[in-house]
Amino acid sequence: MSAAGMADRTEPPATAAYTLTGVGKTYPKGRRTIAALRGINMAIGKGEWLAIQGRTGHGKTTLLQILGGLDRADAGTVTFQGRDLTQMPEAQVTRMRAQSIGFIFQTFNLVPTLSAAENVEAALIPLPSRPAQRHRRVMAALDSVGLADRGRHLPSELSGGQQQRVAIARALVKEPQVLLADEPTGNLDQATRDEIIMLLETLWHSLGLTLVVVTHDTAVARRAQRVGILTKGHLSISKNIQDR
Amino acid sequence: MFFLTYLRRELRRRMRQALVIAIGLALGIGLVITVTAMSSGVRAAQGKILGSLYGVGTDITVTVPVKALSGSGGFQNITPKPYARHHDTLQSTTQGPISSSDLAAISRLRDVTAAAGGLVLTEIKVTLPSPNAPPASFRPPIQLSVTGAQIGGRALGPLSVARLSSGRGFTAADASADVALLDSGYAAAHKLKVGSEITVAGPRFKVIGIVRQPGDSSPPEIYIPLARAQDLAPRMHGMVNIVYVQAASASFVGTVSSEISGLMPSATVSTSGDLAKGVSGSLASTSKLARTFGTWLAVLALLAAFAVASLLTLAAVGRRVREFGTLKALGWRSGRISVQVLGESLAMGIAGAALGIALGLGGALLASAVAPHLTATVSTTNIGKNAFGPAGTNGGIFNGTVGGPMQTFANPNATHVVAVPFSAPITIGAIVLAVILAIAGALIAGLLGGWQITRLRPAAALARVE
Repeated sequence: MSAAGMADRTEPPATAAYTLTGVGKTYPKGRRTIAALRGINMAIGKGEWLAIQGRTGHGKTTLLQILGGLDRADAGTVTFQGRDLTQMPEAQVTRMRAQSIGFIFQTFNLVPTLSAAENVEAALIPLPSRPAQRHRRVMAALDSVGLADRGRHLPSELSGGQQQRVAIARALVKEPQVLLADEPTGNLDQATRDEIIMLLETLWHSLGLTLVVVTHDTAVARRAQRVGILTKGHLSISKNIQDR
Repeated sequence: MFFLTYLRRELRRRMRQALVIAIGLALGIGLVITVTAMSSGVRAAQGKILGSLYGVGTDITVTVPVKALSGSGGFQNITPKPYARHHDTLQSTTQGPISSSDLAAISRLRDVTAAAGGLVLTEIKVTLPSPNAPPASFRPPIQLSVTGAQIGGRALGPLSVARLSSGRGFTAADASADVALLDSGYAAAHKLKVGSEITVAGPRFKVIGIVRQPGDSSPPEIYIPLARAQDLAPRMHGMVNIVYVQAASASFVGTVSSEISGLMPSATVSTSGDLAKGVSGSLASTSKLARTFGTWLAVLALLAAFAVASLLTLAAVGRRVREFGTLKALGWRSGRISVQVLGESLAMGIAGAALGIALGLGGALLASAVAPHLTATVSTTNIGKNAFGPAGTNGGIFNGTVGGPMQTFANPNATHVVAVPFSAPITIGAIVLAVILAIAGALIAGLLGGWQITRLRPAAALARVE
């Protein structure tokens, strides 16, 4: 990252990809209700890299899932591309995920019976595209993560780092506006973790993605422009991890 | 194509489970095919038996009970001539006369395709001993079943199913001739053949053909032209004592029965269904078995197969929750994921159907190979009440003698046993039904799986630890 790039991290971009206002989420747990998120207010700028940290069970993944339309907030509004996700019909949320949001998971979540290329292709199935066009895009995505020669391999034939690269290719093949990553380096050794961080940073920079990463890993968070800390559902955002 | 690639890979991954589902469906389908084939075989056997008793194409028989013979009949009706030692008479022992005008009226009914008359007679031959003869010289009377068959027109009645073993059948030129057809069993027992001569109530008849009735039935021994039978039987000139009726279609049988009852209030109008009710023996038992136990067994097997397929599919969906959650995160609609699961179920259903058809064919072949001949016992009591006049009106001295189907009228308590070979034919319809059932089972399982997927929240699915 250039010095100019580092300077860019201090403030969120002027145009917001997400705007969250008073977002709350509760879960029933037995007879009790657990508040996972409490009155979250924040904006995530277009092309911003935001890292979210916090202790286990303090709402990081819940926040990420609400941003991705995988779950709905009980209170408040989540505006994405000018539309409130909390009021959007499920079919539209699904379409929005298919077109605009990519996911990366800690456990990679590759379909075990499909090859690397087919796993990547799975992200294009909901989109209107011809098989030949899909194939080109899949190969380009695999190439961008350095796995062009592993397209026919099953996930079980790949290392953890390679599986995560396939997952990244799967997330990026549809050219999303937002990439949501949940502990993307959580299952990787340090060397592989560094490779993945480098890769994410390169892709973020070259593709102009909005990147939201939930992580326990300080090394990952340090690369982000801003860091949000979730504590018992409350979010506090610092401009730069290096400020903390 | 991505759909097929994904489907093929998943089935390969879950090969054991796919086999369990396919085999479960196959067992159910195989049982359905076997039971259906056995039911068809039983129905065919029933049809053969009813055909041998009624004749092919006969839907209804009409008889009139004997009035004057109540409490007597048979041998008691013979009035010996003075000094005569040999008596040979032809009688209608249980059925009263039906006039040709009644027969014509039945023929003219709107829903009647054809009607034919017949004379079902019993020939009784008695040789009386001379006054000084020792008791050991007494010969028991001989009783034979003689049927006067209508010649020409549509073939109805007992001869319609008979097969000619040798010689020829009746022709129009034989209408008034002293010619006879013999049952092959009777002919063999008495060493009679084409060209032999027999006496029927006095006159000598030339044997022109030997016939065999199907299904090991016990048919009349002698068939003579109807006109000659009318001449020889007392008070039967121009009369018949049974009318065989063919309705325009099976759905008209009830209507025609009612119309005949209206025309002839004193007549006993019997349908093949009435006759079937009087059939017992292994055929009836098998029919009942196929109808009740077989059907229930097939239904239970199918339900079990459906349940197994559904439960295994639901379990498989449960194990793949995280995978489906990931697909939802990728933007797959629930419907698209459900279609994928449905496709996998359908593939297993098709495999189950193919295997089930093979099992069903094997089961039906096995049933045909090992099943013994079915026997049908036709109770005279039942038939006497329904088809051939009231029971108890004809007890004579020949009680206990069992002869052809019509001879049994001499004895209301006698039974008539018919044996038919059993086979379990498989029809295209049964195979189509099996395929439909297998696919229906697979669809039910797949739809249940799809329903479970639809209810799956992506966030909860992704949180599932596998």
